Amino acid sequence: MHNLYSNKKVIFSLMAPGLIVFVTAILAPIILSTYYGFTNFSGIGASSFIGLENYKTLIHDSVFWTALRNSLLLSIGFICIQHPLAMLTAVKLDKLQGKTEGLFRCIFFIPNVISVAVIAYLWKFIYNPSFGLITKVLRALGYTGQLNPLGAGNAIWAVLLVLIWHGFGWGMLIYYTGVKNIDPVMYEAAAIDGASGSKTFFYITLPLMKPVIQVNVTMAVISALKQMETVYLLTAGGPGNETQFMASYLYKQAFQSYKYGYGNAISVAFIAICLVSTVALNRLFAERGE
Amino acid sequence: MAKIKAAVINKPGRIITIAVMTLVAVIQMFPLIWLLDFSLCNSNEMFTSGILVLPQKIQWNNYYLAFTNGNFLHYLRNSLLINTLAVIMVLIISIMAAFACGRMEWKLKKVASILMVMGMMIPIHATLLPNYVIYDRLRLTDTIWALLIPYVAFSLPQGFFLTSSFMSSIPKELEEAALIDGCGIYRIVAIIIFPLMKASIVTVSIMTYLNNWNEFMLATTYLSSKRWKTLPFCILEFTGQYSSNYAVQFAVMTLSAAPALIIYIILNKHITKGVAMGAVKG
Amino acid sequence: MKKRHIGALLCTAMIAAVLAGCSGSGKQEGAAGSDGKQTQAAATEAATAAPEKAGGDVTIKVFSNLPDRTSGQGLIEQMLFDQYRKENPNVKIEIEALDDESYKTKFKAYASGSDMPDLVSAWGQPSFLDEVIDAGLLAELNPSDYKDYGFINGALDGFSKNGKLYGLARNTDVMSFYYNKALFEQNGVTVPKTYDELLAAVEKFKAAGLIPVSMDGSDKWPLSIYITSLFQQFDGATASADMQASIKDGDYTNEAWPKVLDLYKKTVDAGMFQTGFETTDYATSMNLFTNGQSAMYYMGSWEMSMATNENIPEDIRKNIGVFSMPSVTGGKGTITDITAWNGGGHAVTANSPVKEEAIKLLNYMYLPENWSKLCWENGVCMSAQDFSKYLTGKETSLQLEFVDMVNNSTNISGTTFNDRGTNAFKTACEDSFVEFAIGKLTPDDVFNKLAAAMK
Repeated sequence: MHNLYSNKKVIFSLMAPGLIVFVTAILAPIILSTYYGFTNFSGIGASSFIGLENYKTLIHDSVFWTALRNSLLLSIGFICIQHPLAMLTAVKLDKLQGKTEGLFRCIFFIPNVISVAVIAYLWKFIYNPSFGLITKVLRALGYTGQLNPLGAGNAIWAVLLVLIWHGFGWGMLIYYTGVKNIDPVMYEAAAIDGASGSKTFFYITLPLMKPVIQVNVTMAVISALKQMETVYLLTAGGPGNETQFMASYLYKQAFQSYKYGYGNAISVAFIAICLVSTVALNRLFAERGE
Repeated sequence: MAKIKAAVINKPGRIITIAVMTLVAVIQMFPLIWLLDFSLCNSNEMFTSGILVLPQKIQWNNYYLAFTNGNFLHYLRNSLLINTLAVIMVLIISIMAAFACGRMEWKLKKVASILMVMGMMIPIHATLLPNYVIYDRLRLTDTIWALLIPYVAFSLPQGFFLTSSFMSSIPKELEEAALIDGCGIYRIVAIIIFPLMKASIVTVSIMTYLNNWNEFMLATTYLSSKRWKTLPFCILEFTGQYSSNYAVQFAVMTLSAAPALIIYIILNKHITKGVAMGAVKG
Repeated sequence: MKKRHIGALLCTAMIAAVLAGCSGSGKQEGAAGSDGKQTQAAATEAATAAPEKAGGDVTIKVFSNLPDRTSGQGLIEQMLFDQYRKENPNVKIEIEALDDESYKTKFKAYASGSDMPDLVSAWGQPSFLDEVIDAGLLAELNPSDYKDYGFINGALDGFSKNGKLYGLARNTDVMSFYYNKALFEQNGVTVPKTYDELLAAVEKFKAAGLIPVSMDGSDKWPLSIYITSLFQQFDGATASADMQASIKDGDYTNEAWPKVLDLYKKTVDAGMFQTGFETTDYATSMNLFTNGQSAMYYMGSWEMSMATNENIPEDIRKNIGVFSMPSVTGGKGTITDITAWNGGGHAVTANSPVKEEAIKLLNYMYLPENWSKLCWENGVCMSAQDFSKYLTGKETSLQLEFVDMVNNSTNISGTTFNDRGTNAFKTACEDSFVEFAIGKLTPDDVFNKLAAAMK
């Protein structure tokens, strides 16, 4: 029996598909990216090896920093706006019970199942300064000025709003599960002690939700870094490069500006940043946890 | 239990809570209601000042156009096919790997599992450029593989992680009994382990679907003919074709949102559970 | 043979029917007569083409920048493909069509791979073509094939490099202000002859709660063309040579440049364009005009089919006029100096496995009685070929206004400023004119960026 569990052939056959997929679809492209990152390949024609030139350019490239700043803003938006709202909603929802609870839970999650392409195009219309929903609502409220949500200076906030709105249900659902997992006995005890609603929340719910919050925060940061589709369809990184995120910027460099080598250098930096942030966050939470 | 909780909340409090919840629901739903409303209007009614418009005549023709000219069914079929295949592949591969790493005994199993999970941190779009070169050399562009390979590869880490953690909670005794009966490892995985993993299979399937259903950046870069294009292309192509007819664009958006929405409403409970489980563990 | 003949006849009759449907809104009497003639002409041509078929099936992959296959140039392209397929049953044509910006992006993706489509849309401008030709991506064409095609003087220059021809130009494009005659009348505005009059009109339309000019700022190139027009008005007859010199030497000391930017900024600040013009896309800017939200629309002659587009409310489509950039105070140009060029067209890729067949299709499309004639008769655009023999007398007034504008022109810009340099220059140029408009750059910043982009 022991033999069977350490049979090399069996182990190999079980692991092979997974490892092959990992090596061919994730590892190989990363290696290739690293190679192209050292060249000035334009996508067509010949290329030459230019060492760290691309990375030097990258450090001085203000758009790259804008992209990073945008990811940071988005993480902050998720953590400071979306999550508190989602958590409060989850706590309140938990207390509703019965059919109403199920109904609201179902509705809140709906934007999440709608395709990003629909969401992005829809919000483009909502934001349209001439006939969009926002303009119409403002007009109905008596505002007569001109507002262009996707214009210079506003665009990044408009993008954040869409992303926060779109992901709200997801965050809510996870907190909701966290709340559901709290042993009701704790609440009973609190009620018997005469604790108020807000006290119960701060002294029981919040501490017990800590692991859930940590997972959610990590996921928020990662998804803020990975952001691509919505912003690409909504603003394509514009106006100027104000709403560029890393993925949309590398796409623009490689396929719109004929800088394939540079695009790959951004890819490599992008991967490094994602890895470092995940590891850093895990460390941070692990230390705090002790 | 429910009774006690209900008692904690007094009546007026409950009404306020419901009012607030309704407000949140309206914020979440209103853009979609707006979409539905104007998809039934004439394009010119968009330029009137009303926030919601009662169409003078309901324009079913918008949907007719969207349905017939948008390759809707073709793209829907592709989306369903590609996503289902991706889900099946992710499930099989991750359960196999999870068994090898969780149950079997070999030196490098820790390294292998860390490697598999690490993929979770790597953004799929960072491989967009090099994969284009690779697929082009292998002549895989414009084939179903150009989508399947990355979709499977980037859903696999999560699938592996979830199945691994679930598998560790299955008691070993069941397998041992089977081993005594003379079953091989493959049969154990297929007959004993697989049926026990139902809950995590649901979770992995749902997470994989949600990950890949919306993806279009890879699709738009790797595909050129209509053959394997997926549902988001309905919208992308339509906005070019009917650039001056907003109402039809709205109709096609509603139409392409519909399948996922209907599936969600039908399977609401399972999806909610699945996502919750996946997210809390992941 | 007989069956085929009938098929060809049926097909052309169908095309004629489609044509009648599209151009029907102009003048209706006598339309039947001309359609009949056309059917006949096309049918005889089909009959002669049919026996020449080669054996074996051929698939030609087409990559087009005309996603709307049901109206405008996309429709004409589609009709010609359908017609060609009917005449050559062994040829299959697979079309992938994307809008301009997506097209250019995907084109570059294709260019970096090995599997390019066979017949592609291309622009006869250095910004697009230089890198593509240098990389050897396009097939050389034989100029003598096109002797009888009637291309107007210089139309193919953009597609030529070092004496070799790499593509054919589709249109003569003229950039201009479309205007809504009814709105002009209601607000007591006449067609502006000078820029001051134009600015005065802006005030009137704003007071009436209308958008004066709707502008596609998200694509950025319309603004660069606007700059080109202003430069022509300030610099006069030598504008074309002076622009080229500025780009080549990175030298923007020509006294016209600061004046151009100054007036451009004044225009934007006066609110000539809609709020958020910098993020308004092509379709939206056009829809603002065709729904009566804006009095004018700054766009090229390829949108002349607005006049016959039945999706546009009748009271608007029948009231569209056009004028070119008015003359500016202190400028050397006149109102008859127009911004016009031969830009978009088609080319065949060098590594295409069906190169010969693709060139045949290309040549077929550009037969004067095909592209040139169909475009004009459908009020879609002016081809880059001499289409005077296809004047029918049933043109829309908008078409005739364009013809007059070209015929009366005293000076023509040629390739616009943004497209005269490298691809990097185009990006820098288009980006910085938008950023300047929204107050993020000073004129000197703009000139520095333009100069840096050509280094």
